Amino acid sequence: MPSFGDILFAFTGWLRTTFLTDFSLWLSGTSFSLWLQTHFWVIPTLQSIHILSIGALFGSAVMMDMRIYGIAGSSRSMAQTTQRYWPWIWWSFLILLVTGVLLTVAEPVRELINPIFWIKMALLPIAVVLNFLFQAAISRNTASWDAKSAGHTAIRLGAAGLIILWIAIMFCGRWIAYAPT
Amino acid sequence: MILEPFWQALQDSSVGQFVASSTWAFPTFETLHVISFVTVLGSLAVMDFRMLGLTATDYPLTKVSQDTLRVTWIAFVFSAIFGTLLFMSNATNYVNNPYFIRKMVCMALAGVNMLVFEFITWRNVKKWDTGAVIPVAVKLAASLSIILWVLVVFFGRTVGFTLGIFNM
Repeated sequence: MPSFGDILFAFTGWLRTTFLTDFSLWLSGTSFSLWLQTHFWVIPTLQSIHILSIGALFGSAVMMDMRIYGIAGSSRSMAQTTQRYWPWIWWSFLILLVTGVLLTVAEPVRELINPIFWIKMALLPIAVVLNFLFQAAISRNTASWDAKSAGHTAIRLGAAGLIILWIAIMFCGRWIAYAPT
Repeated sequence: MILEPFWQALQDSSVGQFVASSTWAFPTFETLHVISFVTVLGSLAVMDFRMLGLTATDYPLTKVSQDTLRVTWIAFVFSAIFGTLLFMSNATNYVNNPYFIRKMVCMALAGVNMLVFEFITWRNVKKWDTGAVIPVAVKLAASLSIILWVLVVFFGRTVGFTLGIFNM
């Protein structure tokens, strides 16, 4: 039976046969990419902004989930809690997207010919869709939630599922650097 | 670097050798370090922005502190444990890296800032617990906290790019 590492190797091998090879080589030769590559501080700075934004997004998700599970913040209503944290989550997500795109332009081959990068890219839209559904489900239920927080199993599961997804996405993000090539 | 034999012994310890030689240990501990550390950052930011009077000023600071502090500390303990394991894999190299030293200095300063806030500024918290009127000392503590932790992220990330450069 092939190991997970073997599967990743095969994935990389396949990525090399696609248009992504030519595309990433072309992209790394563009003047903007070259500018990003040749200024040493650009990549660590973009990565730092990326990490700070994850902190804001993930920290907000944790705070909201603690309210949902009744661990902290229970003296505020569900509506107040979600109104406070949704903007932080979505604005952070936007900054993550922008810095992520810039980091990909700066190092196209490292990212685009990388199986873990694509696993991360597959998880991202799932997280975004789940987040929208989750947000809608919460806003439909804020009134009944504050009256009686029992029940709402789907919302609790959604909260836990999203946290697990964000953790998986962070795992992939860090493991991009260690993908078999 | 001072204490050179000590750093060498840490690196030569079975734990240090394990993290350095295993294929999965370093990346895995590094990922867990990052995940716990972003949790520290996020929960600290909730408190710091409230202290600056930029968010949820109708919600008492003592409550925000209660909500966030446990998360911050639990995540910090995990972050420090995994950070130490990473450090042990290559201790002599880390202590010779100027960015690593800067990261440690910023963390120490953030610790001092927190102690001053906790034991001096916080004593009359009742006066500014709710509302947008917040003493300068509180805003200063929050600003310092944000600046220092941003620098910790930046220097931490830079260490990853410069580890081999400053070898003895």
